[in-house]
Amino acid sequence: MQKYEKLEKIGEGTYGTVFKAKNRETHEIVALKRVRLDDDDEGVPSSALREICLLKELKHKNIVRLYDVLHSDKKLTLVFEHCDQDLKKYFDSLNGEIDLDIVKSFMYQLLRGLAFCHSNNVLHRDLKPQNLLINKNGELKLADFGLARAFGIPVKCYSAEVVTLWYRPPDVLFGAKLYTTSIDMWSAGCIFAELANAGRPLFPGSDVDDQLKRIFRLLGTPTEETWPGISLLPDYKPFPIYHPSMSFSQVVPKLNSKGRDLLQRLLVCNPLMRLPADESMAHPYFSDLSASVRAER
Amino acid sequence: MAGNFWQSSHYQQWLLDKQDLVRERQLDLQVLSEEEYQKLFIFFSNFIQILGEHLKLRQQVIATATVYFKRFYARNSLKYIDPLLLAPTCVGLASKVEEFGVISNSRLITTCSTVVKNKFSYAYTTDFPYRTNNILECEFYLLENLDCCLIVYQPYRPLIQLIQDIGNDEQLFSLAWRVVNDSLRTDVCLLYPPYQIAIACLEIACVILGKDHKNWFAELSVDIEKIQEITRYIISLFELWKTYEEKKDIQALLAKMPKPKQSPSR
Repeated sequence: MQKYEKLEKIGEGTYGTVFKAKNRETHEIVALKRVRLDDDDEGVPSSALREICLLKELKHKNIVRLYDVLHSDKKLTLVFEHCDQDLKKYFDSLNGEIDLDIVKSFMYQLLRGLAFCHSNNVLHRDLKPQNLLINKNGELKLADFGLARAFGIPVKCYSAEVVTLWYRPPDVLFGAKLYTTSIDMWSAGCIFAELANAGRPLFPGSDVDDQLKRIFRLLGTPTEETWPGISLLPDYKPFPIYHPSMSFSQVVPKLNSKGRDLLQRLLVCNPLMRLPADESMAHPYFSDLSASVRAER
Repeated sequence: MAGNFWQSSHYQQWLLDKQDLVRERQLDLQVLSEEEYQKLFIFFSNFIQILGEHLKLRQQVIATATVYFKRFYARNSLKYIDPLLLAPTCVGLASKVEEFGVISNSRLITTCSTVVKNKFSYAYTTDFPYRTNNILECEFYLLENLDCCLIVYQPYRPLIQLIQDIGNDEQLFSLAWRVVNDSLRTDVCLLYPPYQIAIACLEIACVILGKDHKNWFAELSVDIEKIQEITRYIISLFELWKTYEEKKDIQALLAKMPKPKQSPSR
């Protein structure tokens, strides 16, 4: 731990406090995540372990890098690459205006990070602006994999309480237990709309009911016809049949028609119909993406 | 995580060289012969297996725990941490990583005590000596020595694919599966990629059962020499087993084993 000089507290993660720190030798700035060991009987918390072991495998420019894991007097510290801010703080600094090229660049990088996770059979499960880090060069990186999990191994059910409500898809809100990459694609859609609106959240629901109503008011209430099997979901209950009264050009007025098309392919209630990350990257919305963003390295 | 093996930490960091193993083990091999060293690792693999079965873990979790155990001692002398402490620590960590669920350290200790008393009294005449704080501390050392590489690829999944391809044969499958389990008592999991181990185990099973799939094997595009090397490791284990009486020899071996100077709590 002598290797790093603590500078300031940045925030609270899923399982511990995050500090900004400086490597005393190289002067490199890093983020230190101190893992609390609340429960002696569990040892290193499984959420921290999940993050450690997944990030050890997922090395990609749109995924935050785990440099090191340190242990000293019964504490565990994860050393991460430091980014200047998260997307939430970035939104707060915007005053309601955002450059549409930045929207496109961030969205593309989000999708590329997700495509990489998904191709490695990892779900993030907790995408939200606070978990997307941004650095000065306009790079976006997925962070906080504390709730992520590998889905290659059959696991009977995932806990329902995972994604922050605002970015939670209707299938999970109805108690779906066997979800897949589609969970992250819904969250990506919500974040896309929020980007286009310079930080105004799309569905800021206050509870599960309110969340579903907000979604259905925009997209229409799904039925057995549009979403076969919906009524079999564990927490399903009928909602009033809303008919969309607002067009997407009103929802995201600044976004061009191609962008609206992509958004509508992500925000689909039926999880099977949501566009996957790799296909989203190939959407015409990105055809004029700048070459520097598209470049892999 | 069933991601890309070729980009995994398993492939990039943890396929070791035979020479590495020889070098790293030098300290222990000044005290123990190679055969004695192997016998100790067979013993502790059995210990992990039986402990895992008592905790009702899936074989995948048990295999991962065994690989952690072997990786740790591929980089450290037996002197560094008592394997009787490291074994349950590996089991606990593997269970968390493989998302089998958290086994509390106290349950781990209780089960260890029971297993030592009921199944391994031929090896240990005293009670299981460790407590939860020992496991807690040991987990840190384990994580550090594994360089946090916790995702381990196992031969079971490729074996399932191979069996489907060869034509479902329940008898062949269950024997090959058992040979994969046996392979954990050799160094192959440290030296070869899991799909090669799966092929070698399947081939051994075919030979034992007298099933002729030579043409099918010939069509696999795989480094035959590597498969033969793996096969030799496993066959020599079988040879060793023929004459080795663990119950008779293990106490003397454990007594001879290099040990930490003091208890691991510092």
